[in-house]
Amino acid sequence: MEDQANLGLRRRNFLKGAALSGVAATATAASTLAQAQPGPSQQGTSDPNTPRRQGAVTLKDESTPRNRELTYSSCGGDYMVDVMRSLGIEYFAATPGNTFMGLHEAIINYGMTTAPNLRFLTTMHEEASVAMAHGYAKIEGKPMACGMHTAVGLQHASMAIYNAWCDRVPVFMITGASIDATRRNLWVDWDHAAQDGAAMVRDYTKWDDQPGSLRAFGDSAVRAYKFAMTPPYGPTLLAVDTLMQEDPIPGDKPPPIPRLPSLSAPAAEEGAVRDTAKMLVEAENPVIFADRCARTPEGLRLLVELAEALQAPVIDSSNRLNFPWRHPLNQTASQRGLISRADVLLELEPGDPFAVSAERSPDGEVRSLMQSGSKRITISSVDLYMKSNYQDFQRLPLDVDLAMAADAQATLPSLIEEVKRQLPDSRKAAIAARGTRFAHTHQLALQRARDAATYGWDDSPISMPRLCQELYAEIKDEDWSLVSGTLFQSHWPQQLWSADKHYQYIGEQGGAGIGYTAPATLGAALANQKHGRLSVCINGDGDLMFGPGVLWTAAHEKIPLLYIIHNNRGYHMEIMQLQAIADRRQRGIDRVHIGCEIANPNIDYAMLARSMGVYGQGPIDNPRDLGPAIRRAIEVVKKGEPALIDVVSQGR
Amino acid sequence: MRRASFVLAVSSVLAAALPGLPVQAQVTAGQGDAGHGRKLFLADGCYQCHGTSGEGGGVFGPKLAPAPLSYEAVLQQLRSPRARMPVYTAKVLPDAGAADIYAYLRSIPKAKPASEIPLLNLK
Ligand code: HEC
Ligand SMILES: Cc1ncc(C[n+]2csc(CCOP(=O)(O)OP(=O)(O)O)c2C)c(N)n1
Ligand SMILES: [Mg+2]
Repeated sequence: MEDQANLGLRRRNFLKGAALSGVAATATAASTLAQAQPGPSQQGTSDPNTPRRQGAVTLKDESTPRNRELTYSSCGGDYMVDVMRSLGIEYFAATPGNTFMGLHEAIINYGMTTAPNLRFLTTMHEEASVAMAHGYAKIEGKPMACGMHTAVGLQHASMAIYNAWCDRVPVFMITGASIDATRRNLWVDWDHAAQDGAAMVRDYTKWDDQPGSLRAFGDSAVRAYKFAMTPPYGPTLLAVDTLMQEDPIPGDKPPPIPRLPSLSAPAAEEGAVRDTAKMLVEAENPVIFADRCARTPEGLRLLVELAEALQAPVIDSSNRLNFPWRHPLNQTASQRGLISRADVLLELEPGDPFAVSAERSPDGEVRSLMQSGSKRITISSVDLYMKSNYQDFQRLPLDVDLAMAADAQATLPSLIEEVKRQLPDSRKAAIAARGTRFAHTHQLALQRARDAATYGWDDSPISMPRLCQELYAEIKDEDWSLVSGTLFQSHWPQQLWSADKHYQYIGEQGGAGIGYTAPATLGAALANQKHGRLSVCINGDGDLMFGPGVLWTAAHEKIPLLYIIHNNRGYHMEIMQLQAIADRRQRGIDRVHIGCEIANPNIDYAMLARSMGVYGQGPIDNPRDLGPAIRRAIEVVKKGEPALIDVVSQGR
Repeated sequence: MRRASFVLAVSSVLAAALPGLPVQAQVTAGQGDAGHGRKLFLADGCYQCHGTSGEGGGVFGPKLAPAPLSYEAVLQQLRSPRARMPVYTAKVLPDAGAADIYAYLRSIPKAKPASEIPLLNLK
């Protein structure tokens, strides 16, 4: 065992090296830093020959455990670990910071060494921590925790929090707080302190608190979890006093752990459900539009049951897997036509209800696609909880007849029951005929997509349908999960693949905040890992470069995931828009690459991956090389590790 | 020099990958030059939304090949787009260039049927 003097010395050297990294500072550390960096407050006191000012004020601060006791055996952090695991939280993702170091230490030395395990995941950006939790929750159906350094860490995390908020996904977040200002040691502790740290992200967190005692932490943690997991789901944040994490528990006796009740989501009012069922049963052309409806696999099962009872077509937005992609009633490809012919349109958790039916003509006229006399019904939990500042609630829809403020999935059982009860035998033949018609149009749409995919099939840069099919061929006989969105791949997977499990697709960013895909897919892959699923994602080059350090996290934490980089060597979305502006101004597009291309030099993504311990291949620009590359990479992923393939691809 | 370096970078990839363009096409309207039309299709950024072979990019740009609309309809779309497509005035893309692009679109051969591509027949 090292003696105290040695330890002290080592610590001092470490702090000297780390200088201003914000490491928990002891009195020794403070004086070391004072020598290294004389600031205004230290001037005049660093020279021992300077006479002390007559009548100078001296203060005696509350002692802190940092300078009072060398060792202690209980701590608030351990209690916090116990509260988190009582909630079923399995992971805590964080980039470290000393405002939550008391908790960090408790997780690694207590949470990770005792059951049930609470594992610390090392990230390289707070945005990655939250995005990982975002992806994880969409697979696992429950939140994981993430920790953010006060002020700076939370500032980094904020966009990812906004994505989770817009996507209605639960995340359990903790940031530090330095409540007793007299117990801050260094200037950096002041920089990393806020009177109301959560204020910055309050507009897009569902609830936050700064508990004043350990006992209150227990209550607030359970409340944060409960709010996060009550539809509409969302991220919640606790600002937890740094010293409360670090200090011994008063009397060494941890407070009791409050109990989490089982949570029941709000279903719609009975009368409205009955009326809706009546309209659906009587409709000639009922249409169901599902957006963030299936929160869990049960939501998917229920939607199939409802659609089949009515033989009604379903339009599935690309935000969740609400409905099997190859179900004959999946009519997503015919959205416009269906909505314009619908006599009853039922929308389940629509994220943008305005856009579902509105059409804007080139001269700016906005009109509803729906025919007059048709009925439009929404069921939305977002109607129960909204905030004012950020506008993710979208434009007011033109023509809703009945808006139920309720969770759609929780409402489906009573709606199905009512539909079945009200369905007269006399309607059954007509309804069955409707089903046959849709089965036919579904096949036609599939054939159309296949025909369209043939164009550019052998091109280089590689076409999107080619990329998607090369991938599908290698995964279709596995228990696969596509953990990235598909908008930037023009939804080819939805058009050509077969998927009927909730976890096979989890949607997009939520708030369209780029930088989501690389970390969120990793969080989703982490959740898939314990179920033995093969996780794959298609990741934009621009998205990856917002935070490529996530590749290191993938390797370090041994999370199996196949990253296919959709490398169009640019922020393609922006190139398309920028050239439209340049063309309108008649200045040509000679210069629109400026600010939009990710070339000159090209990034070698395979090398980037390898530099962080991830198996990497590419760049691949010949479509014939893609299949073999995917097969090799999947071998690696099946061994439990991440892999990356750089594919030089078409823009869309 | 009017061509973006970015566009050139992409088109050189294409030139390497796709030799043997069908240069002389049976252009019925405009009698344009398909080879030059392809160059313009790349240089004027059409491919960014419609794909390098006019195969389409989903909602960002519909498929244009193989049999495009009539020349008049294409010209109309360029000069006065229906909805989200950028406008191409004669200053940016003169009629002759539009005719060449049209000739290129016409020259794109019909693709091999999906039934002959095993990857497009996966269950
Ligand atoms: C920024 C994306 C974008 C660019 C660049 C673009 N288009 Fe389009 N194009 C579209 C969209 C979107 C449509 C669908 C109609 C609309 O929105 O106006 C379209 C429609 C068309 C159509 C009509 C297709 C049909 O079947 O109705 C033609 C022809 C066409 N584009 C040709 C071109 C040509 C030629 C160029 C280059 C000079 C070009 N486009 C550049 C996005 C684009
Ligand atoms: C945080 C953030 N910054 C900028 C944007 C604007 N933006 C939207 S799409 C996009 C391009 C993303 O690049 P990439 O992931 O490579 O996708 P691509 O469009 O090239 O397929 C950008 C920059 C955004 N949505 N979010
Ligand atoms: Mg890109």
